[in-house]
Amino acid sequence: MMARKTAADARPSRRPLPAGALRRRQLALSTWLYLALLAVATIMTGTFVLAFMASLKVDPLERPFRVYFDQLNPAAWIAAARLGQEGAGDALWGGLSPGAEVDFSVTYGAPAGTEIVEPKAEIPRRRPGSGIAAALMRHYAADYASIALKSSSSAMMQVRAEKGGLQAWQTRTFVYEITYRTDGQDQPWIERTPLNLTAPPSQTLVESPISPSRSERRGRLLSWDNITPGVLGLIFNNYRRVINETADLETGKSLFGSWLVNSFAIAAGRLVLTLVVASLGGYALARLKFSGSRFIFAALLFSMTIPAQVTFVSNYLIFRDLSLLNTPWSVIVVFVASANVLLMKQFFEGFPKEIEEAAIMDGASRFQVFWKIVLPNAKPALLVNAILAFQGAWNDFFWPLVLITSPPEALTVQVGLLSLRRSFGGAQGDWGLVLAGAFISIVPVLILFVLFQRHIVSNELTRGIT
Amino acid sequence: MLLRPARTLAAATMLLGLPALANETVRISGWGGSEVAIVNGLLTDVLAEKLAKEGITVKYEPVDGEFSQFIINGLSAGTAPDLFYVDIFWARSVFSAGQALPVTQDVSGFAANLVEAFTYEGKLYAIPKDFNTLAVHFNKDIFDDAGVAYPSDGDTWKTLQEKLVAVHEALPEVDGLCLVPEYARFGAFALSTGWTPFDSRGRTMLDQRFRRAFEFYTGLVKSGAAVLAADAGQSWAGGCLASERAAIAIEGAWIISALRDSAPNMNLGTVRMPKDLESGKRGNIVFTVGWTVNAASKVSKAAAKVAELLTSKEAQQWVLEQGLALPSRTGLADNSWLRGGRPEQMTSRVILEGLSDDHVMPYFFGKVGGSWMQPINAALNSVILGETDADTALASAQSALDRMLAN
Repeated sequence: MMARKTAADARPSRRPLPAGALRRRQLALSTWLYLALLAVATIMTGTFVLAFMASLKVDPLERPFRVYFDQLNPAAWIAAARLGQEGAGDALWGGLSPGAEVDFSVTYGAPAGTEIVEPKAEIPRRRPGSGIAAALMRHYAADYASIALKSSSSAMMQVRAEKGGLQAWQTRTFVYEITYRTDGQDQPWIERTPLNLTAPPSQTLVESPISPSRSERRGRLLSWDNITPGVLGLIFNNYRRVINETADLETGKSLFGSWLVNSFAIAAGRLVLTLVVASLGGYALARLKFSGSRFIFAALLFSMTIPAQVTFVSNYLIFRDLSLLNTPWSVIVVFVASANVLLMKQFFEGFPKEIEEAAIMDGASRFQVFWKIVLPNAKPALLVNAILAFQGAWNDFFWPLVLITSPPEALTVQVGLLSLRRSFGGAQGDWGLVLAGAFISIVPVLILFVLFQRHIVSNELTRGIT
Repeated sequence: MLLRPARTLAAATMLLGLPALANETVRISGWGGSEVAIVNGLLTDVLAEKLAKEGITVKYEPVDGEFSQFIINGLSAGTAPDLFYVDIFWARSVFSAGQALPVTQDVSGFAANLVEAFTYEGKLYAIPKDFNTLAVHFNKDIFDDAGVAYPSDGDTWKTLQEKLVAVHEALPEVDGLCLVPEYARFGAFALSTGWTPFDSRGRTMLDQRFRRAFEFYTGLVKSGAAVLAADAGQSWAGGCLASERAAIAIEGAWIISALRDSAPNMNLGTVRMPKDLESGKRGNIVFTVGWTVNAASKVSKAAAKVAELLTSKEAQQWVLEQGLALPSRTGLADNSWLRGGRPEQMTSRVILEGLSDDHVMPYFFGKVGGSWMQPINAALNSVILGETDADTALASAQSALDRMLAN
């Protein structure tokens, strides 16, 4: 009562607003706050969503950016599933295997009066130009598949003319059948069935089950990278390529898998090391009184200001002399953040001393107090530390880049992503692969956050309430 | 899995006492991109038997990203592979630090100017594995649609420029050429005037001849014949050609593998670099890469043997026929494969001819290295962007070069 009265007395000039105005003001404030949060969230997730969409595209750098393309089009998914089924009996991942009979229909249109000619169809021998894919490609659809025109039919359609109004167009639909020749000795499964259709630029493609990957020769030639993709093969083509095209040249095993394992091992190792060092160090600095403890604490704080780049040459040479280069151990031990120690120290300092004293009265040793009393109660701090350490190690780029250079299967996923940037004449990268790889690499951290996000924000107080 | 029986077989033949050497493992490394298929193909298809006979197991580690950084780090830390690529562009820093072993094999079969490029203080430190020069690659469909004659070997700067302007006028959405403000492309024009990067006293003089080439190159954008690659949303001329944004690209044979990925059906033509009208000569830049044996290698003899095999006639013939690179051996210059009509055959032929252009210089700048190009690149960039005029830009480039070379 007293408090309320004092507060009211202190500001005699301010009369309470009428209820309606107050409510409007509150509403306006919360609307602004909501909009601001929404804007931040949109900017954050917007780039994320756009990048994800781009990672599905054949050409992620296409301009203008389309938001509607085959990989997001359910009609194309159904067509891709049918083509995959006909090609290799696999509606999910597609391919071309013996016994395949694939019907692929394309419809060309042209203004009335222009003759629509049959396009020249060809299964080209498309050879990857670069990277490990070029070294590992063994079977080409061109060697096993034949293509023939099965039927064609004509129709009319209405097209919106440039000047407005409708214009009558004639159309012709050509149905091609792609079969797997059975005359050869070996009959391998083939991942991709490319197709080229060459037609005069006067006629336009108006319909096909899946869109051409690119239009070449100034509209004369439409080229499909794979006409038997299967639904997942269509949507996640870049993701499949990341796994398949980063293979070990000797064993053919996917490098991306071993990069993920390495990253995981390093992150787990650093997590354990961080927890051990940070909790022991933090406790010692918080509780044990020994000479030089203040100096150590000061050194700790000071070390936080030194960037890793300053010490990397000396660290590198030390690891070389210990023969730890190109092993995960070097990256695990190189970097225990003093910030983690500091975090634990602060936590332990807030821990009630009386409980520890009671334990000591009961005959517990210092270590027993730490192990049996303090540590079990430090779970929130340990969890936060663990998550920070794991995330930091997983996303670390600098140290793995410097300390692990070969063999290719020893890299971490973040450094491995770098090798997806194929270059010609010093420029140009395969951005579809880079984006797909980057998205795969964030999955573990994402899972970690989803699982532990409750612990990140919870503490003893909130736990008591809920 | 497929390789395992082959390896067992190799091991079995070795046990029978065929090899002259004990089994040694040689680590070799080069950069990625289209090189992976070349080196891997050589090791697994062409040279597998010979390597097994020598008792050498090769561990190939392609490195994507910054290769020179990788190798210089590795050399200073003692973790570098036994045999590795050196680009003539930065090879000198490896040679002068004593980190490469001199070549002992007979190199009489290799092109003399390539061997010369890897010679340091009288000793040869790397075996040239292949080379590249610049050529004019063009999209025939664009010229057909525009109704303009194709570029030809007889083109001069002027006629080429006229053709490009005509293409842009007929097809406004297409530009003639994507330009990069870099000596690596512009240099070919400068050299064709008879200008040399270093005069007899080791100084760089940006004289009247240089200025003529400079004005032509920077004037291409203004005349409507070209656009800056960056303005077309591309990082290099090949990207513009692949996306049909530009009618021609001035690049080396590496453009073939880029086109295989991004424009596999392009109706491509390749002709030699245009001539300077005044001098009537052509200029070109030679890019070359060699294999160098690490001086700290424990298996240097085996590594030298691997280098020898990788650059043998048989190996180079195979590489040539894959359409992937040009051989450094002169004996292969009149190979029948080069007379074929496929785009990669045609391109390879033109690139090879580039080696015998009138004024050819390697892409190499003495002890100052790549920083020598920076003042020239900066001048090109500022003039093309319209920030300064040629007088000011060249004067400041000249004084920067003088300062650099005075030390």
